[in-house]
Amino acid sequence: MLLARRFQAENALDAALQRLTGPTLPERLDTPDLHITAVRRLPAVNAQYAPFPATLDDRLTRALSARGVTQLYTHQAEAIDHALTGRNAVVITPTASGKTLCYNAPVLHAILQDPSSRALYLFPTKALAQDQLAELQTMCETIAGGSGEQIGVFTYDGDTPQDARRTIRARAHVVLSNPDMMHSGILPHHPRWAKLFENLRYVIIDELHAYRGVFGSHLGNVLRRLRRICRHYGSNPVFLCSSATIANPRDLAERLTEQPFELVDKSGAPRGEKYFVFVNPPVVNRQLGIRRSYLSETRRIASEFLKRNLQLIVFAQSRLTTEILTTYLKDDFDAVPGAPDYIRGYRGGYLPNRRREIEKGLRDGVVRAVVSTNALELGIDIGALDVCVMAGYPGTIAATWQRAGRAGRRTSRSAAVMVASSAPLDQFVVRNPSYFFDASPERALIDPDNLHILVDHIKCAAFELPFTTSETFGKHDVQEILGVLAEQGLVHQADTQWTWTNESYPADAVSLRSVSSDNFVVVDTTDAARVIGETDFTSGPSTLHPKAIYIVEAKLYQVERLDFEGRKAFVREIDCDYYTDAITYTRVTPIDTFAADHDRSHGEVHVVSRVVGFKKIKFYTNENVGSGELDLPEQQMHTTSYWLTVPASLVQLLPYASDDRRDGIVGLAFALRQVAQLLLMCDRHDVGISIDDEETSCDAHRIFIYDNYPGGIGFSAPLFEMHAELLTRTRQLIADCDCEQGCPGCVGPVGNTGPLAKAVALRILDLMLEGQAA
Amino acid sequence: MSAIADRIRGIVRAPLPIVAPNSPAVPAQAGQTGSPVKTLERTLGGDWRDGCFVVERRRKPDTKHGRETVATLAQRLDRSAAEASFFADGTARPPFVFFDLETTGLSGGAGTQAFLVGCGGFAEDGGFVTRQFLLTRPADERALLQTVRAELAGAGVLVSFNGKSFDAPLLETRYAFHRVEWIRDRLPHLDVLHPARRFWNGEDCSLGALEARLLGLRRAGDVAGFEVPSRYFRFVRTGNPEPLVAVLEHNRQDLLTLAALTARLLHLSRAGVSEARDAAEALALGRIYARAGLEERSREAFIRAIAMSRAPAGAFDPIRIESLRLLALAWRRARCYEDAERCWRQLSEVHGCPPHIVREATEALAIHYEHRAPNLLTAKEFALQGLRAPLTPSAQQASEHRLARLDRKLRTQRGASSMPVLEY
Repeated sequence: MLLARRFQAENALDAALQRLTGPTLPERLDTPDLHITAVRRLPAVNAQYAPFPATLDDRLTRALSARGVTQLYTHQAEAIDHALTGRNAVVITPTASGKTLCYNAPVLHAILQDPSSRALYLFPTKALAQDQLAELQTMCETIAGGSGEQIGVFTYDGDTPQDARRTIRARAHVVLSNPDMMHSGILPHHPRWAKLFENLRYVIIDELHAYRGVFGSHLGNVLRRLRRICRHYGSNPVFLCSSATIANPRDLAERLTEQPFELVDKSGAPRGEKYFVFVNPPVVNRQLGIRRSYLSETRRIASEFLKRNLQLIVFAQSRLTTEILTTYLKDDFDAVPGAPDYIRGYRGGYLPNRRREIEKGLRDGVVRAVVSTNALELGIDIGALDVCVMAGYPGTIAATWQRAGRAGRRTSRSAAVMVASSAPLDQFVVRNPSYFFDASPERALIDPDNLHILVDHIKCAAFELPFTTSETFGKHDVQEILGVLAEQGLVHQADTQWTWTNESYPADAVSLRSVSSDNFVVVDTTDAARVIGETDFTSGPSTLHPKAIYIVEAKLYQVERLDFEGRKAFVREIDCDYYTDAITYTRVTPIDTFAADHDRSHGEVHVVSRVVGFKKIKFYTNENVGSGELDLPEQQMHTTSYWLTVPASLVQLLPYASDDRRDGIVGLAFALRQVAQLLLMCDRHDVGISIDDEETSCDAHRIFIYDNYPGGIGFSAPLFEMHAELLTRTRQLIADCDCEQGCPGCVGPVGNTGPLAKAVALRILDLMLEGQAA
Repeated sequence: MSAIADRIRGIVRAPLPIVAPNSPAVPAQAGQTGSPVKTLERTLGGDWRDGCFVVERRRKPDTKHGRETVATLAQRLDRSAAEASFFADGTARPPFVFFDLETTGLSGGAGTQAFLVGCGGFAEDGGFVTRQFLLTRPADERALLQTVRAELAGAGVLVSFNGKSFDAPLLETRYAFHRVEWIRDRLPHLDVLHPARRFWNGEDCSLGALEARLLGLRRAGDVAGFEVPSRYFRFVRTGNPEPLVAVLEHNRQDLLTLAALTARLLHLSRAGVSEARDAAEALALGRIYARAGLEERSREAFIRAIAMSRAPAGAFDPIRIESLRLLALAWRRARCYEDAERCWRQLSEVHGCPPHIVREATEALAIHYEHRAPNLLTAKEFALQGLRAPLTPSAQQASEHRLARLDRKLRTQRGASSMPVLEY
């Protein structure tokens, strides 16, 4: 019966895939110019087992057996072995490979052996902690049922009621929390958690790959503070981390914790066969490089699977597109009874109850299709589905695999489909399938020694425990930093100690999710004034300038007034068919060059930017339907940057007029930025780009790609290292593009750059790469 | 300084302007005249005990604190000591130790310290003795905590103002920080703030406001609470104890006022409702007696509270309403249903009575007439009246249920009698 159903599903999957890709389903050559650019088959993998380690507490092994786990996968055995012998370990595992057992087993073992033992789990979101709570509690009930040992497992986060907190502090063997709560609620109150810190045996960091960029740089410092406090209470916990596939998991774990790590990266879990299909919507206007809407394409493909009763997840890039696709799919199945219940949307902003209901529906198979933002990318348990369709490239190789992993049961066949949008990054990836399938995924970069971030955490650390005059904290001289803090009266040195001498509670002023806690709030004045959103300080002027269109949950608002000093934008609901795109003028001046050779450099820079105007862009057609000028204050910051110098000698060699040369540089910068984003595994707003002033155009041109955060968060040095790859890949992106004179997929739309931008940019790259080869 | 220091200066913005340390701290050196330690002893008038700096002061029995002398306060407290058990957790007994902290901030957490632990108590002769334990260097905190623990070991009850929410948890955190055992569960604690709110709640229930209102005391040159931490930080940075003189005096005043309020509270509880100044005091007395199971005294207090209400009968007065309600409940506990009924009736007739109380009253009346003084029609009338007040869904359901039952009973009553019931 079960087998019959499985065959049925596999036949349906084959049929749907064949309809999409044509009759030759199995492996074929990539075809960058066709509608379907790639079909890859990932063969099934058999399970590899290992016995329970002999030393594992038999109350635990009995409980595991009672739950149907009679042996371990090899990677689980390896991770548990590291943990039991006190080695830090980071486990790289595909979705649904039983990673939680890798850390739950050693934790429960330690508590069973010595009930005073404690463990701390950190998850990037509260929802993930809830999910794990359920699993751990079931396990603990089984143990209690078998041996009578009571193990307390609790979440402790912003949602924990005040009156429950004391009980949790007293009773929890295992505390499930998140870095933000750790930072502002637990570490500053460590004396109340003395029992936990005295007996802390394990710290679990789940979804390690989520801690890159600013968030990771903050977590690195939160962990420095955690280890200081552990030293105070005389404990030295073992760190166990799990991560999705990234290029440098061990390096990331070691940078975050400043501890050596063992890497467990060979999964012993079985995997069913999987097909991976890349779809590029066909070109409808070749000259302008306009393709059919990737949303309509996603809708068409998803419907094919859904029609055949396959369970699927559709990933959209934003909350807005999530809602649009949900509506499309519901429309398609309007006539089918019950459709509203089995096709659901899922995103941040839904109430927890609704989210739990959808997750359960997916596990039970009642919900047949879910359209989600990246909210379901992390490890929330929704069971394994038949198909994953991605509307747009998720931005990184790691995230793409992670999303694709949502489809795929341990034994049966599954499929993942990526539908490219016309964004340059999408176009590059869909037209170069081997970049995705054969290259290693991205590196996760952090810089816990960013001075802005570091200084904030030194304040928090000084509040928690006095620094001694011989103590270190990070790579900078903490004594010198404390000296400056003392000038401000925040700390005071007496004898060999620096004591916190201020009334404030420093953790309150530091948000882990940004560099500065300064932000703009958005006030809707349509009816009674109410706050409907917020934006960090840096992107405030470009998204909240007067007349800007601000979008929340598909509702459009227009900014009527921006109170720059008061950090408020007053908006009113509006009905219009366009959105706005700010024109920002940016000037970058190098202050200090860390390294330079030939045409590449990196160093510290001063960035001045000002929003000078905006364009109105029509929805769906992306036509430019108007513009306006703005006069807003300048924003300044010091940060780090990589820059490319196009030498004057090379520019003079170009057989083009000076305006066209300039267009070529602008187009080149546009393309470089996309590729840099690809190589750095960062979000679009993480880096900024700038070109030297026009006045200097007869000389060398410099293209800056800078870290878009005060102080920098470590993108410029790796970019400097990857310089050659950056140029090669950029050349490939431009050369492979079908358009004639430039399009959003390569050097930018023709209207923005100029008719020769594409040709000039290619010529520059050719000359530079030649020069490099020589 | 290096370039990096300049960058850090650019990053660190001072949250508050701070007085620059004009005279840098002079390191303490033995034998040097004018060294901070000596200045400390001379300026604050204290001495060292077990590595902790202690300032001990005595107020003579005949000194006045507000309208009363210290000796009077001592005497009152002594006579009414047994009444402390009305307010404290655990079995409170003398000696009373009044305690109050001065801290480096209000936010709590590991970085907030109690730099001054003030303890006070009455001496045999009726004088008031304070011992203040001062943290002169951060490194000495452990010694301070141990000395304070020894000081409190002999106490029979700890008396504070808002100490349950602030001082005790803060101190507990400090003990936990140093892994020194704290006496939390072994020592009864009387937090005067909570009874003070009941007895004397005006617009402001801070210690200073109560002191002015009840004790008739006006302080001259007192330090404002918000200024306290910065004065301590100035001392820490400069080593000059001068800014602390006023802080210590402020703390001693607080301790004596706390003692005076406690004496007043316990004296009133002992003397009973005849000494209540107003309806609020009478009501508060009724409550504490009721909680202690002193039913007769509590009813007497509620009756007095109702009589002392200055609002005309039937007009809205929260104290009157609450007293009536508690009196009704007290009568019901005593099974004096007729008396309870009278209270409920009065309540149900008060204009502007909060709906939840109207509901409680009419429900009680409906029950009364359904079961105790059977009159089903009156019962139904009250049940209907109760339904008119805005209700929660569950209360609504209960009321409707009662009405249905009353209707059923009314029908069977009519059926049982052979007389035709014309009025229906």
